[in-house]
Amino acid sequence: MPFTKKLQKFNATIRTVELGTGDKTVKLGGGNTFPFYTFDGPTANPAKIGIEISDMGLESEPDCIKAYYEGCSTVAEIAKKAASFEGVDFVVLKLEGGDPNGADKPVEDLVAVAKEVSEAIDLPLVVEGCKNVQKDADLLPKVAEALQGKNVLLLSAREEDYKNIAAAAGLAYDQLVGAESAVDINLAKQLNVLIKQLGVDLGKVVMNVGSAAAGYGFDYVISTMDRVRAAALGQADDSLLMPVITPISSETWTVKEASASEEDAPGWGPVEERGIDMEVETAVACLTCGSDAVILKHPTSIATVSKMIQALS
Amino acid sequence: MTLFDRVFSGSDAVFGLTEGAINNAIEQYGADKAVAFPNTAYSLPCYYGVTGTKVTSLAELKEALGVVKSLMTREQKLNDAFMSGIATALCAEFIEVLKYIDGAEPYSEPCYGHLADAVIRELGVPLVTGDIPGVAVILGKAPTADEAADLVKSYQAQGILVTLVGDVIDQCVEKGVNMGAGVRVIPLGKDVTSVIHVVSVAVRAALIFGNVTPGDAAGLMKYTMERVPAFVNAFAPLDDVIVACGAGAIALGFPVITNETENIFRVPKSLIVQEDVSKFNATSLEARDIKIKITKIDIPVAFASAFEGEIVRRKQMQVEFDGSRVDCFELVQTKEASEIEDHKIELIGPDFDEFEKGSKHSIAYIVEVAGKSMQSDFESVFERKFHSYMNCIEGVMHTGQRDMIRVRISDAAYEAGFRARHIGEVLYAKIKNDFDAVVDKCQVKVITDPELVTKLRHELAIPAFDKRDDRLKSLTDESVDVYYSCIMCQAFSPSHVCVVTPERLGLCGAVSWLDAKATNELEPTGPCQVITKEKLIDDRIGEYEDVNEAVRRFSNGALEEVSLYSIMEKPMTSCGCFECICGIEPFSNGVIIANREYAGMTPLGMTFPELASMTGGGVQTPGFMGHGKHFIASKKFMKAEGGIERIVWMPKDLKEQVAERLNATAKELYGIDNFTDMIGDETIAEDPETLLAFLTEKGHPALAMDPMM
Repeated sequence: MPFTKKLQKFNATIRTVELGTGDKTVKLGGGNTFPFYTFDGPTANPAKIGIEISDMGLESEPDCIKAYYEGCSTVAEIAKKAASFEGVDFVVLKLEGGDPNGADKPVEDLVAVAKEVSEAIDLPLVVEGCKNVQKDADLLPKVAEALQGKNVLLLSAREEDYKNIAAAAGLAYDQLVGAESAVDINLAKQLNVLIKQLGVDLGKVVMNVGSAAAGYGFDYVISTMDRVRAAALGQADDSLLMPVITPISSETWTVKEASASEEDAPGWGPVEERGIDMEVETAVACLTCGSDAVILKHPTSIATVSKMIQALS
Repeated sequence: MTLFDRVFSGSDAVFGLTEGAINNAIEQYGADKAVAFPNTAYSLPCYYGVTGTKVTSLAELKEALGVVKSLMTREQKLNDAFMSGIATALCAEFIEVLKYIDGAEPYSEPCYGHLADAVIRELGVPLVTGDIPGVAVILGKAPTADEAADLVKSYQAQGILVTLVGDVIDQCVEKGVNMGAGVRVIPLGKDVTSVIHVVSVAVRAALIFGNVTPGDAAGLMKYTMERVPAFVNAFAPLDDVIVACGAGAIALGFPVITNETENIFRVPKSLIVQEDVSKFNATSLEARDIKIKITKIDIPVAFASAFEGEIVRRKQMQVEFDGSRVDCFELVQTKEASEIEDHKIELIGPDFDEFEKGSKHSIAYIVEVAGKSMQSDFESVFERKFHSYMNCIEGVMHTGQRDMIRVRISDAAYEAGFRARHIGEVLYAKIKNDFDAVVDKCQVKVITDPELVTKLRHELAIPAFDKRDDRLKSLTDESVDVYYSCIMCQAFSPSHVCVVTPERLGLCGAVSWLDAKATNELEPTGPCQVITKEKLIDDRIGEYEDVNEAVRRFSNGALEEVSLYSIMEKPMTSCGCFECICGIEPFSNGVIIANREYAGMTPLGMTFPELASMTGGGVQTPGFMGHGKHFIASKKFMKAEGGIERIVWMPKDLKEQVAERLNATAKELYGIDNFTDMIGDETIAEDPETLLAFLTEKGHPALAMDPMM
């Protein structure tokens, strides 16, 4: 009996969100098949990769990362270097120095760093807050204001601070809103609905539905992403039809598989290789479950994942 | 003279002035002279917003004036008055823009005049988030400078953005009121036309934050009405020009509150006369539906969930109120808005100072609420939170509910200054904050006069509780129009959906139909959504097309069909939180029920955890079903298979808990007395054979019924 190919067709398409300006603009989303199901239809926009840098410079980076940035003394220089690695589609600046429980840098200083970085690179920029709800509610609107016209994505608006961040990014200063929820399809949906009720155009929203390192409660992440994409395409659920961005490096480089020294874990192999492996494995799993963009930091991981995306898209 | 005539006359006067001013300007500068406000990309924002046309020169301004004239129709109708009001506002904008010719700076300290786009973007964010809860436009001259300053400060304290026009600015300067954009008090200008600069803020907010297309006047007015919480306070005397401007404000959805009493026409919700300037604040907030968030509760002790479990022992007790010994009660009552003065805390009777240390007394606290979306069904939902609110107060312990409460105040709290009225402060602040979606106004009465408490307990509280109980009893699946979903548990049981009906509460036992209804009202995008029940498929098993559709949607496609009243056909799924599990017992044609607390064996040869493993996870397992304890005595309990008559076994504890209600239902449905005596438990049987012998001996009705499968 001959094999008859059956195509899985959906009536919905993930919204395309454009990040950045000019000819380096990247398009996120836009697909109407499950990830890499090229046998069901062509890939609209291959998944994208962002490289993570920090306002704190290289201070707390592992040695293997530091090596790549040798000679860079300012965050702007680091950003420039980061943008030059193979496979990088956009730069992600983490303003972790704003954390009141950490360096607690003032908002103005952080905004200045964001401006410097955005001027130093021509790739699209994503700016991530410090994760402290109060601080981010002050900080990210100021970043949105300072970077007007750059079409940057702000991570993240969460249930606690979405009003300030989504209103500033999505309404006042014409940037993109990252909607972050904690590994739960209904919370993701609810946040999107709330952001829409503020008056923000859902075409300017990118979701982060939560992330974890492979092996660390990762099954929840995978199942959430899977179901988000299935509900979006299968049921044309308008409140889930936005592209998904997933921070990977911030999760994987702190777990023991990536951080334990070779003395402490003699049987595990070289520490750099382990770090890359964790990052690649986690990223690939997220991409196959529906992430339209991932955020990594080791240039080798980025090159590897980029190669995989090219090969499968 | 009608109100319309006053609007028309004011509008005509302003139009005449504007026409003259434009002609003069053209004469002076020539028609090609550029006109613009500084630092805005929206030309003349009001005119641009309403018409979609940008004005750049005096010639175009003159043309625009022709368009404005066309708005000024003169029929004695509301729309004509509104459009003339808008026309007046546009004229004011034209007069103002002339002041800026040649880059002039017509305004100086403390007045701002035109506000830059950047200011609007900055103010827009807190307006959208509600951090700025409202915008007050104060116009004219207050009766005294003190009243002016007090009014401005009262708004300032609430975080409301205040703009000032006219003599009120001098009055505030005189009284040393701190002014400026940073402290949210913005003096615009002395001329009445400078009021346009705040209208310009509202219009640009609609264009920037509301994505309103310039020229879409209807969309613009809808946005300002719904999203810009502005209102006008206009001091007497009001001339026709101000009345015309007021018509413009009302057209944008901004109510006007004035102390003018002569030759004025009251229009409910829009043109309000409040002779007492000290009440402008409350009247304005009510008229514009502005709710102020309470960030700090005004009590001398701490308030935090950390104190919730704190126990006040007899030794450290200053005073006790004990409902088991004397009359006490707590009650929420819905009232009309006019009957309530927001944040009024009233103590009737002696305060704690007059009680001897360690003594026992009567207390009652009545929280009266009003709100457009308030329903009396929510009263008990609020009241159930009192326990937690009271316990969160440092040094206060609360147990019980309704008229069976006990409250202890510790000596430490008393010494810190905690008094009876502070109970009112806490209840007020919490109710207003937690239930702000439905409560607009709230006042609290704390009563310690023992005779009055006794009287009110019998005349007010007990009848209210009885009425509520009757309402609960009368709530049936047939008597309501909608059911509710509950997907609170989907975080760990992704495809499970509870359909909550009056006679079938959530399987966790914690979400009744009333709870779900309140949750839906308070958090409209939350886990409890309305499910209609208009398209009945099968009355016997309780299957509806719309319920199926909802379940399909809320389970993200995992579940197709569900019945409300059958355990065998399309039974409702379970997450894992069920209080009880019901499973079929084939030997007796019946079902057994095991509750979570029961650790022993059931006649099915499975323990509760073993039963749970095959019932949970959001899958349909015909023959097994999770449910709440309360559901056991419901007439809808597996109605499709014959109802509660099928119950043959329950753990003894559970049987005792539900006996009274279950027996009543059995009596009503089947005329069986003491039905629970026929039901086995673990002291009678833990295996099917012994159980069957017991049931046979008792003549259990299930034995004579058709097999379930």
